[in-house]
Amino acid sequence: MSVLDNTTTILASGVRLTVPLAFAACGEYLAQRAGAMNISVEAMMLGAAFTSIATASATGSATTGLAVGVVTGLVIGFVHGNLSHRAQINTFVVGLVLNALVLGLTSYLITTQQFASHQVGVLSIPLLKDIPLIGQALFSGRWPAYLLILLVPLTWWLVDRSRWGLELRAVGENPQAADVTGIKVGVRRRQALLWCGALAGLGGAYLAVGEVGSFNQNMTAGRGYIVIAAVIFGAWRLGRTLLGCLVFGLSDAMRLALPALGVTLNAQLLVAAPYLLALLAMLLFATQHREPAALGRPFQRGST
Amino acid sequence: MRAAPTMAPDDLGRRVLAHLRPGRDGWLTTSLTIVLVAVALGVSALLLTLTGASPSASLSAIWTGSLANTTGWTTTLLNAAPLLLVAVGAAICASAGTFNIGQEGQVLIGGLFGAWVGLRLALPGPMLVVVVMAAAAVGGGLWAALSALMYRFRGVNVVVSTLLMTFLAIQLVTFAVSTPWLQESAQGSSGIADAQSNPLPADALLGGLGQYPSMQLNAGLFLALVAAVGVALVLSRSRWGFRVRMVGLNPLTAKHTGVRVAALGGFTLALSGAFAGLAGGLLLASPVSPNRLQAGLSDNVGWDGLLVALVARNRPLIAIPVSFGFAVLRAGGDFLSATGVPYYLVDIVKALLVLAFVAPPLLVGLLRGRRGATPPTPFPLPAVPTKMKAAV
Amino acid sequence: MTPTTSAVPILELRGITKSYGSVTACDAVDLRVEAGEIHGLLGENGAGKSSLMKVLLGLVRRDTGTVLVRGEEVALDSPQEAAELGIGMVHQHFSLINGLTVWENVALGDTGKVNKQAVCDGIAEVSARYGLPVDPEARVDALSAGERQRVEVVKCLRRDPQILILDEPTSVLTQAESQELFAVLDRVVANEGRAVILISHKLAEIAQATDRVTVLRKGRVAFRAVTSDTTPQLLARQMVGREVSLGEEGAALGLLPVQQTRAGHDGAHDRQQAVLRLAGLTVVQGGVEVLGSVDLTVGAGEIVGLYGVEGNGQSILGDVLAGLVAPTEGTIEVAGNRVDVTRPGALSKAGLGIVPEDRHHSGVVLDMSVAENLTMKSLDEVSGRFLLRRRATLARARRLADEFNIVTPSLDAPVRSLSGGNQQRVVLARELSGDTRVLVAAQPTHGLDVGAIEDMYARLRRAADEGVGVLLISTELEEVMALASWIAVISSGRISGALPVSEATPERLGMLVGGEAA
Repeated sequence: MSVLDNTTTILASGVRLTVPLAFAACGEYLAQRAGAMNISVEAMMLGAAFTSIATASATGSATTGLAVGVVTGLVIGFVHGNLSHRAQINTFVVGLVLNALVLGLTSYLITTQQFASHQVGVLSIPLLKDIPLIGQALFSGRWPAYLLILLVPLTWWLVDRSRWGLELRAVGENPQAADVTGIKVGVRRRQALLWCGALAGLGGAYLAVGEVGSFNQNMTAGRGYIVIAAVIFGAWRLGRTLLGCLVFGLSDAMRLALPALGVTLNAQLLVAAPYLLALLAMLLFATQHREPAALGRPFQRGST
Repeated sequence: MRAAPTMAPDDLGRRVLAHLRPGRDGWLTTSLTIVLVAVALGVSALLLTLTGASPSASLSAIWTGSLANTTGWTTTLLNAAPLLLVAVGAAICASAGTFNIGQEGQVLIGGLFGAWVGLRLALPGPMLVVVVMAAAAVGGGLWAALSALMYRFRGVNVVVSTLLMTFLAIQLVTFAVSTPWLQESAQGSSGIADAQSNPLPADALLGGLGQYPSMQLNAGLFLALVAAVGVALVLSRSRWGFRVRMVGLNPLTAKHTGVRVAALGGFTLALSGAFAGLAGGLLLASPVSPNRLQAGLSDNVGWDGLLVALVARNRPLIAIPVSFGFAVLRAGGDFLSATGVPYYLVDIVKALLVLAFVAPPLLVGLLRGRRGATPPTPFPLPAVPTKMKAAV
Repeated sequence: MTPTTSAVPILELRGITKSYGSVTACDAVDLRVEAGEIHGLLGENGAGKSSLMKVLLGLVRRDTGTVLVRGEEVALDSPQEAAELGIGMVHQHFSLINGLTVWENVALGDTGKVNKQAVCDGIAEVSARYGLPVDPEARVDALSAGERQRVEVVKCLRRDPQILILDEPTSVLTQAESQELFAVLDRVVANEGRAVILISHKLAEIAQATDRVTVLRKGRVAFRAVTSDTTPQLLARQMVGREVSLGEEGAALGLLPVQQTRAGHDGAHDRQQAVLRLAGLTVVQGGVEVLGSVDLTVGAGEIVGLYGVEGNGQSILGDVLAGLVAPTEGTIEVAGNRVDVTRPGALSKAGLGIVPEDRHHSGVVLDMSVAENLTMKSLDEVSGRFLLRRRATLARARRLADEFNIVTPSLDAPVRSLSGGNQQRVVLARELSGDTRVLVAAQPTHGLDVGAIEDMYARLRRAADEGVGVLLISTELEEVMALASWIAVISSGRISGALPVSEATPERLGMLVGGEAA
């Protein structure tokens, strides 16, 4: 195989690995802008991956599986939102417990149940897919991947241009002041978590019924945490967050591809890259206060 | 919420009585907890039934594996010790207002340091095991100290950094076990590097209690119990503990009265990592483990220990029975998986039980409307205290 | 400008009651506001002013009572509904959000699509009409306190409210800025027929700016009158519910003390025996000089007032003296010894006590007991090398609690359970215990009721009589005039002037506050 072929393959595989991250990152980005630090994004992805395969296996339709995956993410977002932004349980505690619960539940069920393999179709765009180097990567994916073309601008518009997004940002920066202005802080944060749940669910389901076609134990393997790392790496800007997803997806693809190419590069370093880069980004940007000022902080009316 | 305030023995009785006679909210919280625990267990039983397993057989398997006989309960106690150490560590830094969720990684790095010292140093018998444990504590402590430094000098959120550092730790250990430092025969017969270190020499291991081979208890359990009682006492009775609690409850007032807030906060974070690292040392040198370092060494002990601390509301003494309860589930779960029900069932039960214990006080607050009342804060929340940001 | 009492008032509240648990914040309050008037709402802290306004803004639900807007009964369940009814508020503690731009802040609380151009046009229109220039593209965190206040007012006026509520609007304004604000309000009512509700605890301001006034006391309406028919003294009496002297008590209520001729407080004596000397104290934060080369001397046994409008560097000076912020430059001497401020607790060890501006922020640990709070600065005396001594702690706490009349259910009760005045006494007792040579009192009477304010004044005086130098940092002109023998004025982080109280007049101080030489 030529260098060009290898590069094409790695790029294509990198983009495929990026897509689920990008879906979830759009959701997590929006949630964090609302001040909701949401580590249960891992649970949303993993739960959705499982239910999408289970549904696809039961109904025979991978698309239905994808939809049920989105609903699963929504449900987890709903639970998280109510526990931490209504009942005021620490959001990290809720996240840890939900992640443990969903991991246990899906692992238990996958060892006791059998599911048939299902996968959504590939949508290749004629001509464009033949562009050297990037054609395969960008124009020959499973069809839900193209939803990103819609969802990324939509996320941007929601956060930066819509009234809802303005209120979300207000809640993420200063919930007390937002409350006085008449914005329902808890409601906005719960809504942000629903959006996050739906998109993380889509990402997880895409991983299962899109790329792999089946579910295995702990399938997401920390991708939710990588998404959080991407948002931090992106310094709470959507474009840079997605760039982070691409970098992390490519490094994953390289890890998978390099041994076969006979290149010895430290695999652990590539696995660790997202976390390392996120930490470095935080070290670099931390003092510039780019994160939403009230990120991860609970809000209660009357407390200043 | 916080360690018991200083009290004289004569007050103790009164305070205990006050706890036994909870107010209206207390009763509500207690009954809600009982209901939620029942729901959690009911849901688990339902899940078993739906997947064709028998809840009663599973319960009996957990019982057999954890408490029914000497082997069972020694396994339980062996499981409890590292959990308790992790939880006690979590309680220390929580008292100082810092939320460390990276214990899983700190356990692993503790194991790494312990393994490295154990394999590299040729020390006579009992000294080696002590040095291995000390190295493990130092390792976990240093790993957590990195997060403390990142917060101190660059304001990096501690919760996020300890979380991310966990994944780095897993990769670091995976990498380290394949290097010649930990593995002299780096290439196995298959030519692929083994994913675990060489076994530790016998001198580096914690022995059983003399002539009772079935009693596989070891110094680890006593170490953990002493740590729990000691930390509880230090936090509630000592000057140092007083300062730690002040930092946790109001860092600015603490600073004003002359406490080195940043240093003390960072130190408690490192200390909490050290306890997790020590737990890693215990796992490595335990008589029932393979005594080799591998990425699976921590086996969720860090996460579970953190959950123990959450359920115990960061009170070290309460963490003793809670860690025992978690250990019952862990030990029982191992036995359960031998009967054909996946071990993962135990993970589900654990997560549901944690919710059942954590949610009630806040749900009661929600029911009561809470407005005007002081908000209940069962865990120290300010991973990055707002006030500090403004003042530093 | 005389208010006409029309048949249908623009706003009428009838029998509004609001309780929080066992505390009744508003008890059957009636309020009648006419179009075209500025209506003063006066009351001590905790009299129920803010609860009433929260009801009016739809932020909290009233228990009983009816609200009529232009004669029509309204539900007032949400802030949105209040906004639709034309009720707008300028909040005391700003409701602006730092991370957003001015126009985004102004757009918050609107409904419908976000139309930047329309919002900016609206801002420009309001700015031009009232002479309140603001830059819609600026980020709020880059604005000064006065500019933020202007944005708040513009934000509120852009909604074209018929009823405009201002909560303590002048606390961040200089006298000149206050006059500008009142000029705007006059136009709003006289030319445009809106109604303004002005909430204030400053009697002079109410007397000067309002047409009619309603006084709240302990949640009930105590008094209502046409302002021109009353005197500040009468209003003061209605506010407190008893006769008020014109000296100290008057100062606590925002009346200028008639004359202060306390012997030995002519400002000249003891200046040599300085217990606190600040020299060239400078703090730079984020590239901005928030405190510029402050020189200040406090002699033993004298009270020096540092007067200025909120947000001019007093807070940061308080933080420096509390040991929370290290100065960028300059020195601090306590009792003649230079203090190494980088060492934690050094100022406190050197004999400097401080009652901080916000006691919850850095004064007390709310969830620790009264005894623990009273002894936390003197652990050496209540503990051995390692362990705390419970008996010594309690004994010391008992002594301080008795000396300072701290009312608490028990020394083991958390400070959170104490009233504001008693919490403040806990701080004062702790900071004056031990060998205190100088006491810094930063806004020591904020949020206290009149009784507690008088008690605080008396204790500051007694401390000074016992030879402690007192630095009183205050935004209340009347307070510094009543207590201090020497008044320094801070403006934009710099001392703009200092003069003995005998030469101080409100006019001269006002000029200094504005940064002009007096």
